[in-house]
Amino acid sequence: MPRASASPRRAPASQLAPPVARGPSAAPLLPQPLVERLLAVAMERGGDFAEVYVERTLTTAVMLEESRIKSAQTGLIQGVGVRVISGGKVGYAYSDDWDEPALLRAASTAAMIAQGGGAERSFAVRRAAVPSYYRVGTPLMDVEVSLKTALLTRADKAARAFDSRVKQVNATYVDQTRRIAVANTEGRYTEDTQDLCRMAVQVVAQGKGGEQRTGMYGGGGRVSFSHWDGFPPESVGREAARQAVATLGAVDCAAGPQTVVLAPGWSGILLHEAVGHGLEADFIRKGTSLFAGKLGQKVASDLVTVIDDGTVSSGRGSINIDDEGNPGERKVLIENGVLKNYLYDGLNAKLMGQRTTGSGRRESFKHLPLPRMTNTFLAPGDHAPEDILKEVKRGLYCATFGGGQVDITNGNFVFEVSEAYQIEDGKLGRPVKGAMLIGVGPEALKNVTRVGTDPMPDPGMGVCMKDGQMLPVGVGLPTLRIDNVTVGGTKVA
Amino acid sequence: MDYQQLAKKIVQRAKKKGAQQAEAFLEVGRQSSVRVHEGQIEDLTQSTSKGVGVRVLVKGRMGFAYTSDFEPAALDHIIDQAVKLAGAAAPNKLNGLPAGRDLGRFGETGLLFDTKVAELPGDWKIKAALEVEKAGRAEDSRVVAFNAVGAGDFVSEVYVASTEGLSGAYSGTYVFLYSMPVASDGAGLQTGYWVDYKRFLDDLDSPESVGREAARRAVRMLGAKRVKTQQVPVVLDPLVASNFVSDLAAAANGNAVYQQASVLAPLKGKRLAGPHVTLVDDGLLPRGLATAPFDGEGVPTRRTPILDKGVLTGFLYDAFTARKAKARTTGNASRSYNGLPAIGTTNLYLEAGTKSPQELLREVDSGLYVTALLGHGTDPVTGELSAGANGLWIEKGELTYPVQEVTVAGNLLQMLQDLDGIGNDLQFRGGSVGAPTVRFRQLTVSGE
Repeated sequence: MPRASASPRRAPASQLAPPVARGPSAAPLLPQPLVERLLAVAMERGGDFAEVYVERTLTTAVMLEESRIKSAQTGLIQGVGVRVISGGKVGYAYSDDWDEPALLRAASTAAMIAQGGGAERSFAVRRAAVPSYYRVGTPLMDVEVSLKTALLTRADKAARAFDSRVKQVNATYVDQTRRIAVANTEGRYTEDTQDLCRMAVQVVAQGKGGEQRTGMYGGGGRVSFSHWDGFPPESVGREAARQAVATLGAVDCAAGPQTVVLAPGWSGILLHEAVGHGLEADFIRKGTSLFAGKLGQKVASDLVTVIDDGTVSSGRGSINIDDEGNPGERKVLIENGVLKNYLYDGLNAKLMGQRTTGSGRRESFKHLPLPRMTNTFLAPGDHAPEDILKEVKRGLYCATFGGGQVDITNGNFVFEVSEAYQIEDGKLGRPVKGAMLIGVGPEALKNVTRVGTDPMPDPGMGVCMKDGQMLPVGVGLPTLRIDNVTVGGTKVA
Repeated sequence: MDYQQLAKKIVQRAKKKGAQQAEAFLEVGRQSSVRVHEGQIEDLTQSTSKGVGVRVLVKGRMGFAYTSDFEPAALDHIIDQAVKLAGAAAPNKLNGLPAGRDLGRFGETGLLFDTKVAELPGDWKIKAALEVEKAGRAEDSRVVAFNAVGAGDFVSEVYVASTEGLSGAYSGTYVFLYSMPVASDGAGLQTGYWVDYKRFLDDLDSPESVGREAARRAVRMLGAKRVKTQQVPVVLDPLVASNFVSDLAAAANGNAVYQQASVLAPLKGKRLAGPHVTLVDDGLLPRGLATAPFDGEGVPTRRTPILDKGVLTGFLYDAFTARKAKARTTGNASRSYNGLPAIGTTNLYLEAGTKSPQELLREVDSGLYVTALLGHGTDPVTGELSAGANGLWIEKGELTYPVQEVTVAGNLLQMLQDLDGIGNDLQFRGGSVGAPTVRFRQLTVSGE
């Protein structure tokens, strides 16, 4: 699909995983001589480049429903993928069977993409140093499951205590310890351990006449379990409950163009959809993105500076290395409204004569890498957040967000607002239901008229979908004002 | 390896290790797919995969573990893990595997496996994908690029076994073609999307027709503009209408209903739509993509009407939720090996009506024909729909200019009442959810 979406609501409940026979973390995931053999087999028909990707992912998930721990689960997914590039063609084969014959079969299957006659070659790899943007003490998979279930029980209690109108609380906690190794025919072998956890609470509140509203909140990141000391589950439960209760009695949203003010944090989804996906090099190379051929051009208001940063400390979207073994990077994509850079993976960079920006990411060994975002932020501006609101005579204040989606080709994006208020004479009025924003990326960014001094990352629960591949990402935005945005709603003035 | 035997062995091992009940759900598959770009192979992927999930009950507590590693030590490890994790969950007397009376006999599925697909030569997919791309370019010179064009197939096998006497297996085949062309008129870019996805090779649309239809859909969007904010009749094409159908089924999820987290919860037995509206989930639909003898926990699949001639007749259940709701499981436990069963749909469709799509359009004086949606659709709790829309403006019964950057909004219950036309063109376009063209008397379109 040419579409991509991000959402705090789409948790990969099952794709995330416990150990079967993990060795000391210094031992390579796959023995080096075997890796080298696989590379040699992959190149036997004369490819230009080959890569071996090894993954072992352990997931633990717990679920609470009706104030009880409904289930606890754990799982392992592991496999090896071999990629061969020959000109612009890619051959890929993977196996979840680690038997040597199965792996060699995968390598020779991938090799078939190259048509040349093979000369026997050998490829030695050397372990390369990897930066460290997330330092995890005890791996999450080694934390007792009772500590994980306790988080949910605490969140549930706090959510129910928040207001008597809270009727349902569902809570989930998922963590993942993912070890990857990437080796290629350029001689590099890199390894990384990527811990990730996320807790989410969903609340249904019931008001007068059976009216129901929902709230959803959560967070996490590439953190150790002590993260929850500073981000207590009670605060998660209360915030989800607050959202559900706050929107009881909401009025229908007025349809049509309005001035909108976005609260800081989660609203970064706007940026992810409105520009981020359109700057990914696969769409640029094929000429299917409306940002293709626009480097150096003005594509947004002077106030807009967009950064994709894989090096944020403990960030949900952070990566020490990408899934091609290249280090995570900080990239300025748009600077004061001018388009500066695209997001490159290795293949598209090579085909376009550029260098990779460490943006080659994949959901698992079952997938090919694609250029993807990591943590995508809007740099802060110099408007005080309270002044931004005060200046708006009539408009819509968007406080909490659902997901978003974009059609990269025509730039149309949508952005769901789960908690919104009317703005009347610079003050918040009644809550509004059913609001959604729609726009065309560059046009919306040209209508940005105020950027706050209050940068804020999201709490760490973003999931980005592209080509059917789900990845953890971060977003962030300061308070923002955009003029003349089409707001979807049911009420026609 | 005899996977049926393996599933049974896992169950026996789990019982020995302290589980009162145990179930093994095992999947094995192989797949191959190709994408082409400008007359050349872009990438070619081949794989085999497998995995097993083990669900156990220990003193009313449920534990679950899965692995893709079938080494005996790895299997032993996940059985231990599942038993251990049961200790971390709360006891619930409603927990348990489907009872013997729910298991019963498997219904008649007809054929699920096509040897032509299973033995498809690798170069068939390459040739087919190249033909899709070529047909797209031939359709219109304004087709300038492709986001992706591809073809693929897979073969999957499922095995289950449990301490309750369950033992079952089936295998099926799938084959698909898709195209995502980009059209340009110099001023702007527009995309189209078309796909066909079937169990049987002979059922699959020709590469040429997939390529041409995708191109037509891209080209006709060139020059799209916004329209004024207004309330008008809205017609959804079958691809888009299937989203509406999925949203309706999500609100009929037995768990959401039990939790009172669905707009449909209090409405069982009530008339929600006209007598021309029938919505069915049918796990035994002949040649259906989701047709299978049993669901994710071994319960025979069946035909379950959700809306029968406009009346809300049923909800969808798995074993656990059925027990909670004092209902019977409808065989709608959906899962993969690496997740617990949860309520899902099988082959879900809105029954076709009698009018052609052209007739439905002809009766609209001024309105919107929607051909693509953006966003996540309807909130099952509140029933509110708000989504971005692309499509064509209808004027005096004819399609006129393309429209983009607008939203459509409404409420599920109101939309059901307003559903005043259903086309005779039911199709399952790209999945196991089917819909014909549908028309709503009125929705809010938000634009300029």
